[in-house]
Amino acid sequence: MVVPPDNDVIWARSLHHSHNGSPGLGGVSLGVRDGEVLAVTGPRGSGKSTLLHCLSGQLVPQEGEVWFNSVPVHTMGPRLREQLRRDRFGWIGAEPELVPELTTWENAALPLLLRGVSHRAAKKAATEWLDRLDIGPLAKKRPHSLLQSQRQRISVARALAASPAVIFADEPTATLHRAERSQLLRTLTTAARSHGITVVLATHDAEVAALADRTVCLLDGRRVNTVALPAAPDTEGASACSLSV
Amino acid sequence: MLALRLTRGSHPLVLVRRLLLAAASAGVGFLLLCTLGYASGHPAHASSSVLRLLWCAVPLAATVQLAVAVARTDPSTRPRPGLFAAGVGPARLGALAAVSTAVSTTLGSVVALLFFLHLRGDLTGLPFDGGAAEFLGAGAPLPLAAALTLLALVPLVSAAASGLALRTRPSAPSGAPEAEERLAPAPAPTGLPWGVALTAAGLAVEAYASRGSAGNPLPLPGKLDSTPASVLVGWTLTAIGLAMAGPGLTYLCGKLIQAVRPGAVRLLAGRVLMGEARRIGRPLGVVCAVLSGVIAASVLYTGEPRPFGPLTALGAVLVLGCTTATLLTSALEARQARIRTTEAVLRLGAPPAALRAATALRAGVLLAVFALLTWVVAELAALPLSG
Repeated sequence: MVVPPDNDVIWARSLHHSHNGSPGLGGVSLGVRDGEVLAVTGPRGSGKSTLLHCLSGQLVPQEGEVWFNSVPVHTMGPRLREQLRRDRFGWIGAEPELVPELTTWENAALPLLLRGVSHRAAKKAATEWLDRLDIGPLAKKRPHSLLQSQRQRISVARALAASPAVIFADEPTATLHRAERSQLLRTLTTAARSHGITVVLATHDAEVAALADRTVCLLDGRRVNTVALPAAPDTEGASACSLSV
Repeated sequence: MLALRLTRGSHPLVLVRRLLLAAASAGVGFLLLCTLGYASGHPAHASSSVLRLLWCAVPLAATVQLAVAVARTDPSTRPRPGLFAAGVGPARLGALAAVSTAVSTTLGSVVALLFFLHLRGDLTGLPFDGGAAEFLGAGAPLPLAAALTLLALVPLVSAAASGLALRTRPSAPSGAPEAEERLAPAPAPTGLPWGVALTAAGLAVEAYASRGSAGNPLPLPGKLDSTPASVLVGWTLTAIGLAMAGPGLTYLCGKLIQAVRPGAVRLLAGRVLMGEARRIGRPLGVVCAVLSGVIAASVLYTGEPRPFGPLTALGAVLVLGCTTATLLTSALEARQARIRTTEAVLRLGAPPAALRAATALRAGVLLAVFALLTWVVAELAALPLSG
């Protein structure tokens, strides 16, 4: 077994995974350095989400290794992986995935409460992050009365409030408009850099990827240097139609 | 046909729920046919036959309640992307639910008819041929139209009820509107004062009526001859009151669980219970009412040599079984409705043990509160009668 390099907080080697036979990942290797913002880019269906699921321990790859701080994640049992996710990782999905019964601050404090942190400390940490993300006044509202961008900010606050080592963000701005998109991402990357949190950001948007320190491209489940597909000529379909019919 | 095709591919547990519904329908159908047999066997006792028919309304209501609960949890009638993409909207889903409910209940009715004819001795070739021939009025011919009308009662009523219940349900299996729908909290139930008032009024009516205990215009068909009508009115009021108070009480239980600096388990348990108060509370109130009625009746009639007949026992078992099954099915429905939230919480790394602890806490608190309530109501209901 190859021991991963010391300066990588997450290190993955030749990950293979398929969903019920449909190919997902076909041999992806990558290292994530401590404190960096790494963008994983590629078109839809290129395996970004599967890669993030594998790296964050939500999914065990069928082949390959995942190491976190020199600890193998791929050999851990479900219980240990779950504890790792709870204590060291944060997750931001495309949908906010909030608990509708809880108020804004309770949603943001939920990971801390699940760790067994006291009510008072969890509330303090959550409200601090809500204030930093400009949604402090909404702390007592329920998610159903908020805008989508505000909900997504709650989910960012939830990830940050637990002060994780790594935050995985899977297309966090997919459901937002451009203005809200750049604001949310700037907040996330700034907060992560100032607190030394590593961020792995999956996106298909080149603008979003420009905010990252480093970019890894995926195409059809493999790592490539650039995603430069030959552009299809616009008139192909039209000429084919006119010729054949 | 779509309803039947979806049934064929469904999970065994779903089929078990439908079989339960068929069994309940068979029981009610059998009770109705027995009433018919009694009526055709004893033309002179018309009022007694009407009384028996009226008593059948209680298991019928319980069965319809179960049918609606089963239709609500049925995966083939739940709004889902596969059917939605094929153009099946809320109206078609309602029709689908009505058809699948009608299929299960008709199956039950057919079984009831065969069993009834078998016990009367009209169908031969099996053990217990004509085992209860005299009891079921084998001497008189069975009016066909009447039998079919009675047997069609359960399928028609339950199909209509489940179709209507599912028509009003919002249906959008994917995309933003559904997310909005999911996030919007159910309003807090408001029926608690009414429920308490009705329960108290029912108990008062019963206590007042049982002072004289002279007439018995509405006795049980089996043996409970000494039950005056106003006592039954009191019991009915109490039952309606409990069913109305159920959601409010459940909401209060949830509020109690999450009070005063809750941790994750208490917070999730309490808030979920507050959110599901309507769904869980009503069947819980009904079960509570039925159980307190059974307890009160058993307190009253212990000591008599043969307190009730086999048909009364069948009716009681039907009502108890249907209401309990409805409660369990509603709990399942609540769980299904929250499955995406549960996934989101698990994705945060919540240990499944914490979620199980939250469920256990909810169940424990509900059990304690409602068991106490059932016992108190049963004692209060039995007090004036046994005194």
